[in-house]
Amino acid sequence: MFFHPKVRVEDFEGAAMPHFLALYRTARLLAQNSAEAEDLVQEVYLQAWKSFHRFEMGTNCRAWLFKILFHRLHHFRRRWAKSAKVEAFENPEDQDSIIAEAPVPQEIRDEDVLSALEKLAVEFREVVLLADVQEFSYKEIAETLKVPLGTVMSRLSRGRKLLRRELVGVAVSYGISPAGDQPSTGESA
Amino acid sequence: MNDQNIDAKLCQRIRQHLDAYLSNELLAETTREVLEHLETCPSCAQEMAARTRLRHALRRSAGTLMPPETLRPSIERQIRRMQPGYLGVSLNLRLVVAVAAVVVVVLGLGTFQYLRRVRQGRQMVANVLALGVSDHLQCAIQGHNYPEAANPPDKLREKLGPEYAGLLAVVKQKLPGFEILEAHICSIKDSPRKYVHFITRGQGTILSVILTRSEGERLPAGPSFRSITSDGVDLYEAHVEGMNVAGFETKAYWGFVVSDLNPATTLQIASRLAPSVKSALDEGVEPGARASLIDFPEARVPATRP
Repeated sequence: MFFHPKVRVEDFEGAAMPHFLALYRTARLLAQNSAEAEDLVQEVYLQAWKSFHRFEMGTNCRAWLFKILFHRLHHFRRRWAKSAKVEAFENPEDQDSIIAEAPVPQEIRDEDVLSALEKLAVEFREVVLLADVQEFSYKEIAETLKVPLGTVMSRLSRGRKLLRRELVGVAVSYGISPAGDQPSTGESA
Repeated sequence: MNDQNIDAKLCQRIRQHLDAYLSNELLAETTREVLEHLETCPSCAQEMAARTRLRHALRRSAGTLMPPETLRPSIERQIRRMQPGYLGVSLNLRLVVAVAAVVVVVLGLGTFQYLRRVRQGRQMVANVLALGVSDHLQCAIQGHNYPEAANPPDKLREKLGPEYAGLLAVVKQKLPGFEILEAHICSIKDSPRKYVHFITRGQGTILSVILTRSEGERLPAGPSFRSITSDGVDLYEAHVEGMNVAGFETKAYWGFVVSDLNPATTLQIASRLAPSVKSALDEGVEPGARASLIDFPEARVPATRP
């Protein structure tokens, strides 16, 4: 058949627009600047609208939109591939021995978290954002990023630890000493 | 192995589960095990609290990021602007393919129809012109219904009757070099069709000028069918049964010039004749008005066979 059943813009907006903020925030935390984030979100919606006839109503629209977002993001990222930091600490066995669990301050300032996130390599940042901010399941994250489930788990574990370390660094640079937990015991003690 | 060692190993094992526990990805059984441990181990509970705190902080700080107020309306506007093209890129492509297919089919059908129309039109022209050839062949050539010496004009006018007598002068004038031997109304056996038939001699052969009623039928118009146009009159050509025929059309008649002269000559003769014959027929030939004996000085000479 040449023609698909008619799709209505109201259906699309009803299904897709509620995820506008989540998409924008994710894009904002992964793109290089806010202008790029805006472009990305716009592209995601236009792309989604164009292929809305292929979207099955009632299925997970948020996951579908995020897949489009990450497809675009990775497309963008290939362009900055040379400048992108790619750290290859993917082997879970290495992780615990490499990074000690840094203390997390009792009071965490938003700007500190955002600065710490920014310092996190994008491969880890995206998994942390999808898991901890958007609360996607490991399986959904694996599908969104097109990586194996094991990679999601190892990147998340490592990403969380790296974030804690960056957070300590940020807090220290602002002259705030981590007033929260002492460095945890465990193997680093 | 003392209790502390056992605790340290248990803590290490539980902490390996904390990431999955935080993401709610643990099996129920393992979750219970983690929960039980957290209740009894302050160190691990503290670690879990730190992780939970960070997770909350992450969500909260991400929530502070707000897009410019114009972004969402701008996106919605663009989406709505794309409404007519909601079929999307891939579907637009399908649309293009569909339209192209339709165009090809229409063009194909159109070409087919056109060619069929041309073929049918040419066939009709040939059929009509063949009428003239049949009469020429049967009446003039095979029937030899003409005298060796031209019939006198009076006799010809009488044979033609008042309706067509006036044409004698026209044919005479427009056929220089040809002598009108005979003129009459004739028909072919078993056909009700009547022909106004002028049998002439010139350029070493017999040439017929033939008129017959078209009964409302029209020859197809257009350059695909006609050979030339002479003073607004279309001329058609055919080669039938060894004869060349050039035809034309008046309001109510078809006219033919038939001979075994070459096609170009036949056409040239017809083109000279057609406009005058047409206007004579269309405007109504006034019997005798334009035909006088002066036009036929030779007719005064008694016809004798050589």
